[in-house]
Amino acid sequence: MNWELLQVAFWLIAGIVSFYFSLGTARVWTSIAVGFFLILVGEVIPRAMPFLPWADLPQVEAMGLIIGTISIMVMTHGFQEYYVFSKTLEIEGKKSTVYLGTLAVIAASLVFILINPLPDSATLELIKIVSLTNWVFLSLINIDMIRKIFINIKDSPISKGFLAFIAIFVFIFLWKGAALYIRIYELDTLRETYPFRYNLSFMVSHAGNILASLSVGGTFLYLARLLR
Amino acid sequence: MILLPRGNPVKEKIDPGKINLPEALRKLQSGTFTGYLRFETKTGTGVVIFEAGSLISALFEWARDGERLVNEAAFERIFEQSLAGGATLDIYRLSTELARSIHALLHGEVLYKGQDLKLIDIKALLAKLKEDQMSGCLRIYTKEHVALIFYRDGNPLGFFHDGSTDIETTAGHSMSVAREPGAKIDVLLATNNGEGGAVNLLQTIDLLSVWQKIQDGVVRQRRTLVEEANRSKEAVEKDRQQKVLALLRGTAEKHIGKIGISLVDKEFDKTLPLGADTLSGFYDRLTKAAKLVAGPSTVKTMVEEMQKGLGAFLK
Repeated sequence: MNWELLQVAFWLIAGIVSFYFSLGTARVWTSIAVGFFLILVGEVIPRAMPFLPWADLPQVEAMGLIIGTISIMVMTHGFQEYYVFSKTLEIEGKKSTVYLGTLAVIAASLVFILINPLPDSATLELIKIVSLTNWVFLSLINIDMIRKIFINIKDSPISKGFLAFIAIFVFIFLWKGAALYIRIYELDTLRETYPFRYNLSFMVSHAGNILASLSVGGTFLYLARLLR
Repeated sequence: MILLPRGNPVKEKIDPGKINLPEALRKLQSGTFTGYLRFETKTGTGVVIFEAGSLISALFEWARDGERLVNEAAFERIFEQSLAGGATLDIYRLSTELARSIHALLHGEVLYKGQDLKLIDIKALLAKLKEDQMSGCLRIYTKEHVALIFYRDGNPLGFFHDGSTDIETTAGHSMSVAREPGAKIDVLLATNNGEGGAVNLLQTIDLLSVWQKIQDGVVRQRRTLVEEANRSKEAVEKDRQQKVLALLRGTAEKHIGKIGISLVDKEFDKTLPLGADTLSGFYDRLTKAAKLVAGPSTVKTMVEEMQKGLGAFLK
């Protein structure tokens, strides 16, 4: 089974749905939706390397990993803003700030990559581990934050949508957590020695990826229905 | 009610609340005025009598029970009732003799009061007056007119009726009052025949202090009434705000849950005082925040329900 093709397809749908959702809603949703959209960018770039002539450049791969890190930070920022709103009932700021701010961070990251020496495999591996670590810990933080948001807005029309987000981050935790585990213990090179651990982590990572993409697309469609 | 003929009018139907009464009385004193001032108030009648600029009598009679106050107490009531509003002042000129006679009879004794003239044996009454050598007057009155017939030591002195300045010796107008339907008669005995000099009350009573005291009291009372009215108004407004808030909270909770109550509470404080403009801003802010927890159609329905419910409170 070509996991990677399936994953790209599902993230393509999820990314389009979430980006479309970000256009028609309030600022706080923009951060969350843009964050999930950036997962698509972070997933597509490494997958496109065999097919596109420039895609196998180390800088491109590095940018793909960095954009993945930026995405979890942007969506965490969005959930933080929503949590603040659910507690203080204060909302402020413009949607354009989110779009422009995200673009600015991506641009700054690109500049950083370009002005530094060409990343070799070890550097890329380090960037990957930093990205996965961010994902793992911020997923746990987001699960708790969404739980608190849900308590604050429990009987509102949109509250069930937040239960769906908890499921998304559980899947993302499994996806990125398993991938980080493989990388930390270099199980891909030790798969002969630890086949069960490797195979289980591999399956959990890929399954988590697919489930996350499905749940992201499904959740934003559900939210769009709730926020009609 | 103090029933007296009107005398020769100097001024009638003045609002005493609009003039400085001590000052006016001083002017009458310096003008050697002879006559009387009649204060008709909501609670009674006051009469102040001058004789050649000397204030010889001040009397206030309560309408409810006929109780009388004299001198300083009378002035306190006259000033108080004048400043309270709704009083009228009439000033009538009299002759010295008439002024003294009025003074004597007002401070005298009422022998008979409110007897129907048709039922009285006038001749017998006059005979008794002569026999007892009484000094005083017969007061004959209807609703519109009053006439006095003065007696001294049992002998008739003369008549006083509306428009007179002095005691008149011809019956004429005075007796026409007796012929009016419903005419009644009082028999009053004078205290001292109206002779002898009376004390000038302007020298014994500090009218300015009395006036100041009453003015301060009236101001205090008005301030208290205004404060009470404001408090009452505040209480009514507060009650209205509470009802409006309860309605808004209930509607918000129904459509968007408990967070709706919190949103309403937060935005409502910025909406006071209640009005169409402030509520318009309230709805805008609430809509913007509510769209983070519910869809536009749900929020629109909620706001429309709020506007409909508040329609009655804003009328």
